[in-house]
Amino acid sequence: MKTWQKLKKNPSLWQRYFVREKVIQAIREFFLKQHFHEVETPLLVSSVIPESYLEVFETHLLDRNRKKKRMFLTASPEASIKKLLVAGIGNCFEITKSFRNTETDSNLHNPEFTILEWYRVKATYEEIMADCERLLMFIYKKFRNPKPKDSHATINYQGKTIDLSVPWERISVPEALKKYSNVSFNEIAQQSNPMFPMELITRVARKKGYQVTDKNTWEEIFNQIYLNEIEPHLGTEGKPTIIYDYPRPLAALSKIKSSDVRLSERFEFYIAGLELGDCYTELTDYEEQKKRFAEEINTIRQKNKIAVSPDNDFLQTIKAGLPECSGIAVGIDRLVMLFADAANVTEILFFPLEDILK
Amino acid sequence: MSKITTSNFQKGTFIEFKSEPHQIVEFQFVNPGKGSAFVRTKLKSINSGKVQEFTFKSGEMVEEVPIAVHEMQYLYKSDKDFIFMDKLTYEQYTLNKSILGNFQKLIKTGEIYQILLHDNKAIGMRYPKKVKMLVTEADVGVKGNTVMGAKKLVIVETGLQIAVPLFIKKGDTISIDPETCEYVERLSQK
Repeated sequence: MKTWQKLKKNPSLWQRYFVREKVIQAIREFFLKQHFHEVETPLLVSSVIPESYLEVFETHLLDRNRKKKRMFLTASPEASIKKLLVAGIGNCFEITKSFRNTETDSNLHNPEFTILEWYRVKATYEEIMADCERLLMFIYKKFRNPKPKDSHATINYQGKTIDLSVPWERISVPEALKKYSNVSFNEIAQQSNPMFPMELITRVARKKGYQVTDKNTWEEIFNQIYLNEIEPHLGTEGKPTIIYDYPRPLAALSKIKSSDVRLSERFEFYIAGLELGDCYTELTDYEEQKKRFAEEINTIRQKNKIAVSPDNDFLQTIKAGLPECSGIAVGIDRLVMLFADAANVTEILFFPLEDILK
Repeated sequence: MSKITTSNFQKGTFIEFKSEPHQIVEFQFVNPGKGSAFVRTKLKSINSGKVQEFTFKSGEMVEEVPIAVHEMQYLYKSDKDFIFMDKLTYEQYTLNKSILGNFQKLIKTGEIYQILLHDNKAIGMRYPKKVKMLVTEADVGVKGNTVMGAKKLVIVETGLQIAVPLFIKKGDTISIDPETCEYVERLSQK
């Protein structure tokens, strides 16, 4: 039965779907109160920031003469927002749809999904960590209307009880690696080049019983250890968890940490086992960004994924001078799942992919 | 033994994990932030019944455990074990109740089932798509319509209590989905 049919048959289900509008209203209020501008950027673009772990949706624009131009759907509004930041917009946020191809057959992903991104100028990822704590408390208060003297802010998600009140648990990736995997970061990363030789991480992974072939990337091997041994502990032990300082191969568009160039200023936050957001102190160095573009394009080719047109306009924007800033992407569908206590993303979408495909 | 990859995974597939045969109970894809695709599985050990989670890299290869399917008659239950008899060889095989799970409430003495064998040991069942059941009691007491909608509870021949539409009567035969133990449709009326 499709979702709209289930709703017609059982009107008590509407409440679960109405959680979305409440969450989005609360998010808007939170940012507008702080005088952030709300922006709207294109979903249809002619070039994207190349990211090798993603697969894009590709389409064609036809001009009046029906001449074709290859176009893509955005996997994130990041590139356009950064262009606005260079132009001088200041603090801003966007609530929009993003598209990631091949992300089917999962409780946590829908290929078309709703994303919230916000950016603070003159800020690093530490300011955004505080934003996350305050945003979740703001949404919580809108839902629960707790008494002012209540110092706790507990929610239940799939049998786990989490207290959203500040401060949240903060742990770095190297600390988490040691605590949950019993691996010292020095076992997989060196101070001198090459910083992340495949032999080191391969040895660690194989010793733990994981299979490693010569086709696997550093990221794949690391993430397998991370998903099996570290992630189950994040945001599941009574408080939300902010896990920060990711290894450089997983830096994406984040700045490298000056105190340890093997790490990047990136964090994610988890609540009750749900990965809700991904943040960086934004990379502002043009040469480094150009280098990462080239690496990603190469990996995309190696992995036989859809070859994208790289957004060189974005590179030029970075060259023109991205202000020191930090930004984050939060999965709104995941936030809705949290507040609706839904285990599957299909439960909070009026038209999940499976309905559309039938 | 043949090798399969994560793209061949299906619910119910038997694979070798940590050198022991396990059954894939559940699986789904996950993409970590800024990461490639992985396959998160719930694996049940054939030997111990213990369920554990493991996340594979997408495309990772595993050994598929070879299984034979034999038709067997369900004889009786002894403590935690369900005893079956192979129709051809008359040999008896045992399935622990932890392997049968919910199907324990649907199994009928004397019926023929498809039993999966590995190394001449019963390790699972290929469940029928639907199970036919006789309704033995139809007036179990209405349990509050607001919760169940237009449904009531009945008892079927195995003793299972199940929610069905109001028109189901004692003596009707109904079809049940063995995966969810839920009513599917009425097959015949008394």
